[in-house]
Order: sequence, then structure tokens, then C-alpha cells
Amino acid sequence: MAKTKIDGVQLALLSNRLEGISSKMGNTLMRTGRSGVLNIARDFSCCILTGDDKLVAVAEALPIHVLSGPDIMAKTMKEYHPDLKRGDAFLHNSPYHGCSHAADHTILIPVIDDDGVHRYTVAAKAHQADIGNSIPTTYHGTARDVYEEGALIFPAVKVQENYEYNMDIVRMCQMRIRVPEQWWGDFLAMMGAARIGEREILALGKEVGWDTLENFNEQWFDYSAERMVGAIKQLPAGTATRTSTHDAIPGTPEDGITIKSIVTIDPDAGKVTVDLRDNIDAQPCGLNLSEACARTSAMVGVFNSIDHSVPKNAGSFGRIEVLLREGSVCGIPKHPTSCSVATTNVADRVSNPTQAAMAEIADGFGLAECGAIIPPSTGVVSGINPDTGEPFVNQVFLGLSGGAGAPDADAWQTICHVGNGGLCYQDSIELDELRQPLFVKARGFSPDTEGAGRFCGSRAVYTEFGPRVGNLDVAYVSDGGINGPKGVRGGLGGACADQFRITRNGDREELANCDVVNLVAGELIGSQSCGGGGYGNPMDREPEMVAHDVREDYVSVERAASVYGVVVDDMGNLDVAATEKMRAGL
Amino acid sequence: MRFAVDTGGTFTDLIVEDDENGLHMFKASTTPDDPIRGVLDSLQVAADDFELSLADLLGKADLFIHGTTHAINAIVTGNTAKTAFLTTEGHRDILVFREGGRMEPFNFTVPYPQPYIPRALSYEVPGRILADASEKKPLDEGRVVEILNELKAKEVEAVAVCLLWSIINPAHEDRVGELIEQHLPGVPYTLSHVLNPSLREYRRASSAAIDASLKPQMSAYMRNLTGRLTEAGFDGRTLIVTSQGGMMDASDIAEQPIHLINSGPSMAPVSGRYFAREDEGSDTAVIADTGGTTYDVSLVRRGRIPWTRETWIGQPYRGHMTGFPSVDVKSIGAGGGSIAWVDDGGMLHVGPQSAGAVPGPACYGQGGDKPTVTDASLVLGYLDPEFFLGGNMSLDLDASRDAIIREVATPMNLSLEDAAAAVISIATENMVQAIVDITVNQGIDPRDAILIGGGGAAGINSTAIGRRLGSERVIIPEVGAALSAAGAMMSDLHAQYTRTFFATSEGFDADGVNGILDVLEASCNSFIDGPGQGSIDQTIEFFAEARYPEQVWEIEVPLASRRFESDADVQALVQEFHKVHEDIFAINDPNSGVEVVGWTASVKCRLREGESGSLAARDLKTSVDGTRKVYFSGHGHVDATVRRFEAMKQGEVLAGPAIIESPFTTVVVDPGATAERRASGSVSIVPGKAAA
Repeated sequence: MAKTKIDGVQLALLSNRLEGISSKMGNTLMRTGRSGVLNIARDFSCCILTGDDKLVAVAEALPIHVLSGPDIMAKTMKEYHPDLKRGDAFLHNSPYHGCSHAADHTILIPVIDDDGVHRYTVAAKAHQADIGNSIPTTYHGTARDVYEEGALIFPAVKVQENYEYNMDIVRMCQMRIRVPEQWWGDFLAMMGAARIGEREILALGKEVGWDTLENFNEQWFDYSAERMVGAIKQLPAGTATRTSTHDAIPGTPEDGITIKSIVTIDPDAGKVTVDLRDNIDAQPCGLNLSEACARTSAMVGVFNSIDHSVPKNAGSFGRIEVLLREGSVCGIPKHPTSCSVATTNVADRVSNPTQAAMAEIADGFGLAECGAIIPPSTGVVSGINPDTGEPFVNQVFLGLSGGAGAPDADAWQTICHVGNGGLCYQDSIELDELRQPLFVKARGFSPDTEGAGRFCGSRAVYTEFGPRVGNLDVAYVSDGGINGPKGVRGGLGGACADQFRITRNGDREELANCDVVNLVAGELIGSQSCGGGGYGNPMDREPEMVAHDVREDYVSVERAASVYGVVVDDMGNLDVAATEKMRAGL
Repeated sequence: MRFAVDTGGTFTDLIVEDDENGLHMFKASTTPDDPIRGVLDSLQVAADDFELSLADLLGKADLFIHGTTHAINAIVTGNTAKTAFLTTEGHRDILVFREGGRMEPFNFTVPYPQPYIPRALSYEVPGRILADASEKKPLDEGRVVEILNELKAKEVEAVAVCLLWSIINPAHEDRVGELIEQHLPGVPYTLSHVLNPSLREYRRASSAAIDASLKPQMSAYMRNLTGRLTEAGFDGRTLIVTSQGGMMDASDIAEQPIHLINSGPSMAPVSGRYFAREDEGSDTAVIADTGGTTYDVSLVRRGRIPWTRETWIGQPYRGHMTGFPSVDVKSIGAGGGSIAWVDDGGMLHVGPQSAGAVPGPACYGQGGDKPTVTDASLVLGYLDPEFFLGGNMSLDLDASRDAIIREVATPMNLSLEDAAAAVISIATENMVQAIVDITVNQGIDPRDAILIGGGGAAGINSTAIGRRLGSERVIIPEVGAALSAAGAMMSDLHAQYTRTFFATSEGFDADGVNGILDVLEASCNSFIDGPGQGSIDQTIEFFAEARYPEQVWEIEVPLASRRFESDADVQALVQEFHKVHEDIFAINDPNSGVEVVGWTASVKCRLREGESGSLAARDLKTSVDGTRKVYFSGHGHVDATVRRFEAMKQGEVLAGPAIIESPFTTVVVDPGATAERRASGSVSIVPGKAAA
């Protein structure tokens, strides 16, 4: 059939339909998942790709999961299984073949029409509570390679044929993965979500015709590319280089891992280039990026910096060029490089300097740096529950902030980390204390920790917790203790992360930034999360906003004066005249 | 005689039930500065129609039922009491964190929301109860008294208290309550475990904070309402509609005003349930209430109206969660006033911006120049410019045309009519997605449900929505323009009691659970003996809030038996859970055990003998029957039959294209669809299939 131009009405209707299907997949997955990381951190995503592997629709999902990667995974599926049939489903978690990291099990289903033509691929991806690593965490920061990491790797492995499970693979997983019931529950949830996507797309194809959908795909990409060009044309031309350094942990260079991002904006060409090639080689640790995370983290930095209403799909992605180098710590990894922690730590060190560079080129765009993770307050807790004798392993989300100051607004406090975009829920204290034998003594914002600016970055969150009875292991990889979140355009940095053990007699013992800590009853772990960087000079901050922060106990009277040049009395009242005088003199 | 009054954003709707069970529908403008005046105005309109004095009309009635948006308006406009928040040491920021989460992950123009109660009025109380109900640290009463003295100095008007684990050991929270009575006599307060004894401290704290902040104003409102009704001649009982789709006495709701948050919209599904059963013999329905600015979708699933605990005031993650069970209503910004616009990539959008009541659509001639859904309806011929609101307002067709040509047709290179039809198509699709969203969350296949259209603007595109969803039938009740008020007339006295008690299907603690069920049933019985005294019929139902191990979202499962006498009773619960889980999520895990987090008892007392949703017959003063030119996509301009809603005979069938009009609503019957008048007065539409 000849290509016919789809009008703006049908474009709106069909894009709405496909997005509706991906949301339905996402809702199903969130409501049925078993592990906390899935249904609390919302560490999952659902998307739809065209038959030629272009991302066309994605449910609202954490940014690091979906921008790039599903395309490579779908390609891998086709390459390894050229004869796709309706009823097939594939398990994929290989960071060497497009998955973000091994913890993100993904179900891929090819949508095959009645004539046997592969029209779309649906993907449901979810971070698992456990994947059979050598230690009880899905973030193995110090693993020298994939062998020490220990995860089972599935490069698009067929797990269903004709809608029937291959139980051999299921049993292999159950023999290797801690909490096998939890894994099986999440596996079912992903399969359910993907099958719903398949069913709905088949119905849509019948209703409107496959040729119409093929036409739509192309024109939707054209439309999205046009919107992206429009957004880029609002920016000035320029190049900026920013670096961001991940703190040292075992297996990294002594000074940590510094990532350099060179950003070039070319409004005439309607294009942004992010060059990550001038970076060090992959390291003997779990922090290296997968290709999916390297590309996506750069794209997150760009999309965080521009008009947020531009659709995210292969059309707009085509206006961003990400330059990667094979074998780099933030490039294309070679097996058996470990990418265990690829979605968070170094990925954040790519997104942050990218959006900061955008801000340095263009006032009114870009974003300051978000805080780093994973502090103990969001670590993986494990042990044996003395009440039941049963083992438990779970990632908790007790207290995180890390939001960056923006051109026109203060930070979203609970951004979690830049790649999460704030979707993560914060755990209910009661729910966590019920799920495992925990005692959470405190969780709250720490005063005077914000990244001061014209618009401020987040305040740090302080959390204190330990076992209610018995022993508790807490595993974490806490970046940002030395290299905190930086501000942009004169904005100041946010507070750094910190962690320590509080012994039974109340003494504080500093802890390493990457560890599995054993706590005995009566001991607590204290965890401070990073704040976020500020945007613009704090001396330009609206004085009433500073006074409000003083009244709310977030900023001290002294800091209001010394950092913001704002005079506030003890009752929190703004002294306008004194403030003007102080700001003029400073 | 009975009255049901629903105060909405624009109109105050009144349904009067006469002594022969016939209904009468009236409308007056809402008066936001003094909403009770709007209530009395609507009663005066009715009195005039019945040719009675207001006092004589009121004197005939024994029941006055009221749904009101007054509480939600007080919160939205910041007119609540100065309220303090007391919580467990170390956890001052419960209301700041909420439960985290965010929408639009790439949108950095929206700053983090302020807590419901400022941090400056949030206080930490030393003392700690643990998950096993033991006391880790005793309550520091001296410190509590110090705090209370500080609140006195700050002239705080209400206090909310939420301590960790008060749901399983309320000793500390109760003691704080006693100290408030002693040191802040007369200051209203709310204890979280009394109001909302459920797990998850943020939701409980938020319930308590919202409830306490409403107490001073809402008790005054209820006193004022009952006082002014009495003064006007009413000496019957005054009942108020709750968020849970039931009713409570005005004096009782003043003690727990949080139940007022969704008062009003919660009644639409009560009506919907009645009409689905009466008109089509169905127990599953999607109810869509179209207003000027919002489109509210609610459900009936196998005869039940599903609840949600995730009710937000404002947008999800940016507003405040009520933490309280409420009838599940999904609202989106779509309605007659939604504005159509074209973006810089050439794509058409409708809403979420709305022209509201002021300035309103372009055709209102009140200064609005943006094209809206109402303007598109007028251009297409769906609306008659001379018969809008029964001819009480005339519409400016040229203004609609100009706005659509300028903002839609020209930038998209479409004809005027195609542009107007496109606006309706996009609005329809937005509404369809809202329905898809709530039905997937509640596990209903919309194809298996009757679609019920309420609100004055429902009839414009309900046939089109029905087609898109694959609905067999679309119902437009004759009282559809006052669907919530009609629902209020049909609802029951209702109360619900909840206890947190953890149990697992393996090693089920039957004695412990039965003890909890005893307590819940006793509460229900005292409700029946109290507010429910003299009711016609009483029912008690029990529910478990259950989940698979490690899941964090519970689903509600009805209990088949009132107590767990044997293992078979436990197995029955487990089997029911697997079934409900599969219903809602399309999967289950039959080999897995089940955990129960909370137990709920719901008691209903029926006050009304017989049921009717039919308007009493009346003489038509005007008739507009005939034909007019109406434009439909794919058909162009066609001659559509125009028929007066009230004049259609029972069983009369109209084939589309047709327009059915009343002073309150306009129903568009698309080509290919047919409409039939039902005995209840409803118009029942077979929408037909969507064009391929």
C-alpha cells in the first residue's frame, strides 16, 4: 500500500492509543510485582518497539531504563531467533546485548499478526530482588568481573513457546536465585504485563489496519523529531565540557572515576552531541556502564535540560548523537567486564555533567547536579528473621533526596538520583518494620544542607536504623561522600553523603563507602544522603523564599545572611531594608 | 417527601421525591461565598414549581440529604484551621516525604510540594512503640505538655496526632489525646488510630491532619445548615453524603469531616448501579460524569462500587493523599469547557486547560475567545443555539466558528466542520483513556460494562465513547444531569470500621482474627442501634485487605463467612483471593500463600422503601421536534431527527442520526446507532461498531 499522509488528528489518536497500551502494561506490572525494588522504587518499565526495533511508546518509567537499550535488546532477539512465532517470549538481562544491567530481568514478546508478520515488540523490564549474585545484593560494586558478580546472564533466551513455559529455565533460576518465590512472582507479573501489551496491539492492528499503523510509526517519529528540533532551536550554539567524579571504591583508581562529558549544541542543525569518548577504560569493578546505560544516561542529561513536553521516542532520539568508545568505563563494555551497578553510580556521573554543561551554555536551560547514591538508607538489608526463622533479602527505600535546582524552580526533593527522576517511592516506616525485623529510629531533612542557588537543590536526608531483634546485614555502594552534587551558573553544591555505625554505647564509627555491614541488636547505622546542587547565584534568590526556609527550620538565620545575604529575625520575618543593604554591600 | 441536594462547582442540583416515589429535578446556581444560600435557592425553585411556599414545601419533608464540595473547596483555597501536627520523635517529616513518587520525570518546572501542615507547626513527641506492639521508649508526658503550651501561645486551632504503630498499641496516642483535652480544652483534635486505623504512617497522618484542619469550619457549616433549614420550616433529619458513597448524620460528620472530601461525586456510581440494573439488568457499569471542566469516571463491579485508599487532593504526588477509603473516582481535565489547541509540530490537543464557567466557551459571549468542546458541538449542530439550558441562554454560533477556524482549522488545514469533529474526536479519546485507566486498575473489561453518561454535557459524545470502548449499551438517565443528587436519594446510611491485624494463610491465627471480627461486628451493631435505628433493612459485610507475600499493595477480598471456624474457611479466603487477583490483574499464583494486613467491616442501613429513578410526568410547555442539519465525520451534513427527551414514549426507538434534547441535556445519536426510551425514563443507546 502506498504511503498516505496521516493527519494531525489520527496522529494524536494513535499515539494516545499506543501510549495507553504501554501504560496499561506498566500499571499491571506495578500492581502485581512482588519485590520492593519493583513496586516501591518503581524500578521497572514497559515499552513498545516497532518491528524494526525503534522505540515508539513508553509508559511513564524511570528515565535510565528505557531511552536506549530496548532497541538493542529487540535486535538481539531477532538475531538469535530469526524464526519468531506468536506465543514466543524471551528473557533478557545481558548488559552485553542491550540490557541496562543484569538485575533488570526483561521479558520481550514479538507481536506477530495473523499473517505471521512481526509488527511490534513489547518489553517489560523489572529490577529483581535477587539475581543469584555471589553476595546478597543486586548491586555488586566491587565485583572484578561478571564471574565474581555471579549473576545468571540471559541474552534473549526463549522462555515461552506457544504460550507454554520452558520450565528448565524456570527451575535453573529457582536453584540459583535467593527468594525464588519472589522472583517467580515478579516473573509472572512481567509476563502478564507483556502479554497484555501483545493482546492490545493485536486488537489495535485488527481495528485500524497494520498498514495504517506502519504509516503512523514513521509519521510519529517525524513529528517527534520536529518537536525536538524546535526545542533545540531555542538554545544558543556552543560547546561546554564538564566533569563529574565518582568516589573511589575498591577496584577503581585511587582518585575515583572521573567522567568527562563534552556537550555541543547546534541549533541550526537541530542537534545535540554528547561526546563520552575521552574517558578511562573499564575498571575491575561493578561500576562500568552497559552500552544501554551509557547512551541513556547522556540522553537523560539532554532531556532534563530542554522542553519536557517533547515526546521520547526514536524520532526525538535521532536528534541526539552520543559518541561512545568500545572498552571505556562509560562506553561499550566487553564481556566479562562487570556492569553490575550500571544504572546508578557512574551513569549519574554521565547525566549530571551533561545537564550541567547544557546549563553553562544556556541560562534558563539545563539543570544542576543531582545527588549521588546508593547510601545505606537505600541499601539491601538481609538476615534471618528470628520471629519466623525465615531468611529475608530486600532493598529498602528509607530516605533519599538529591534533587537539583532548576532554571525556574527549586528542586524536587525526593529525586532519588538523576536516572530515577523521582519516581521512586519512599518506604513507609511501618511497612518496612513489618516486612523485616527493623527499627527505624529517625528519618528527616537535615538543616543547612541544601545546594544554595537562585533556585535551590535538595537538602540531605538523615536516616538511622538497625535490627529490632537479631542481626542485620546492610549492603550499599555510597557515592558522593567526597564528590558531592555541584551547582551551576554560580549555584553552590549540596551536602555530601556520609555513613557510620552507632554502637550500643552511642559511639559513632565511620564506615567505608562501599560495604556489607553487619549490625547486631542495639546497633544502628546512620546514613546521610546527598543533597542537590543549586541553580544560579544564591544572592539572587527571592528573599521571601529564604525567609520561608528559615521559618520551616530548613535554613538557619546565620546561613540566610552569610550565603543568601538575607536578613531574617528569630521569628522568621524578613527584614527587607537590611537585606537590600547587605546584598548591596556583598 | 424527601430532598437530595448536591452542591457542585457551577450548579446546585436538587432532586425532590414526592410521596408517590416520583422524582423532580431542579437546578440553581452555586453561591461559593455562602453555599447554603444556593441550597435554599434550589429549594425555592422547587417550591415555586410546586406552587407552595418554601416553608410549606419544607414542612412536607422528613429527610434532607446533602452532598457538598465545601470541604474540598476549603482545602483548595487554604481556608482551613491553623493546625499542628504531633508525631513520633525522629519522624517530623512524615508529611513532607509523603510516600515519594513523582509524575512527569522530565518536568523540572514544578517544585516540590509544601506539606499539608507546615514543618514549623510539626512537633516530635519522645516515645516509641515497635512493630510487635512493645514499648521501646516510654512517652515523655512532660515534653508533650511543653509542646501543648507552645501551641496555645501560637493560637493553634486544631491538632492532629499520628504516632508510629498506634494502630496496634494506641497507649501513647490515647494519652496525648487526654493531655490535649486537659491542656487545650475546647481545641478540636484527631487521633490517627481512631480516625483511620490502617497501616502506613503517612496515609494515617495525612488523614488526621486533613480531618483536624476541617473540624472548626465543618462543624460550623453543619450547625449553620441545620439551623437555617429549621428556620425555613424543615423539621426532619439531615444526612450528609460521604466519600464512601453512604450517608451520615450531619452532627456525626462534623466530628469526622474527612468523610466530606469526595461528598458528591461518590454518589454518581450509586445512581449508575441502579440504572444499569433497572434498564439493562447488568451489575457492571462505567459511570462517566461530564461537567464543564472535569470528567469523573467511577465504576460498579458485580454490584459493588470499588473503593480506593489512594485518593489525592490535587494531582498525584503533587497534592495530599487523604489516606482514607473513598469511592474510586478518576477525574481528568476534560469537559465542555476544555480548550482545543494545536502544537508547533501540528498535532491537535484538547485540554487540560479549560475556559471554565468564566469566561467560558467562545459561544457564551462572555469574553472567551478560545475554541472549546462546547463550541465544536455547536458548530457541528449537536447543540441548538436557541435551546441551550432549555432556552435560558442563547449561544453565539459565529463566535464558535471564528474561534475554531482561527485556532484549529487554519493551522491544520482542515475545513471548519472537520476541525470541529476532530476536536470532539480528541476529547472522546482523552475520556476513553481515563476510563481505560480506572478499569485496568480495578480489573474491569469495559466491553462487559454498561456505560452510563451523567452531567449536562454527557450526551454529546457518549455514543462515540461507547463505540471506542466496544460497549453494548450506553445509558443516559433522565436524571443524568443531576446524577449525584439522584444517587444520594438512593443511598444508605453507612459506616465502616477497620482494624490492622497481620495474619498469614500458613499458620493462620483463627482465634486472633475472630477476636478482631468480634470487635468489628460489635461496632457495626452499635451503629445499627444508633444512627440506624428504625431503618428498614441492615447489612454487615466483612473484608480482608490481602496480598501475596512481599507484595506491597493489598486488594480487598470479601469474606464468605463471618468467622473462621475451620481450615476450610481459611482456604475459602485464599481461593477467593486468587480469584480476585486474577480478575484484577489477569494473573494469579495459586501455589502461593496469602497475607492479610487489615480487616474491615462495612454496615449499611436502608432508609428508603422501594426504589425509583424516574421523573414524574409533566406537561411540556415547548416542543422542538423536527429535523436539523448535523455534521458527522464520514457522513458530512445529514438531516438528523430532533426529538424532545421527555416526549419520547416508553419503548420508542429512534435510529441515528438523531438528537434528543431536554432543558438539561442533549444526546447525540450517531449514524448507525439506535436509541430507545426505557421504563425508567432513560435513553438506552446501542452505539454500534466503530468504523474501521
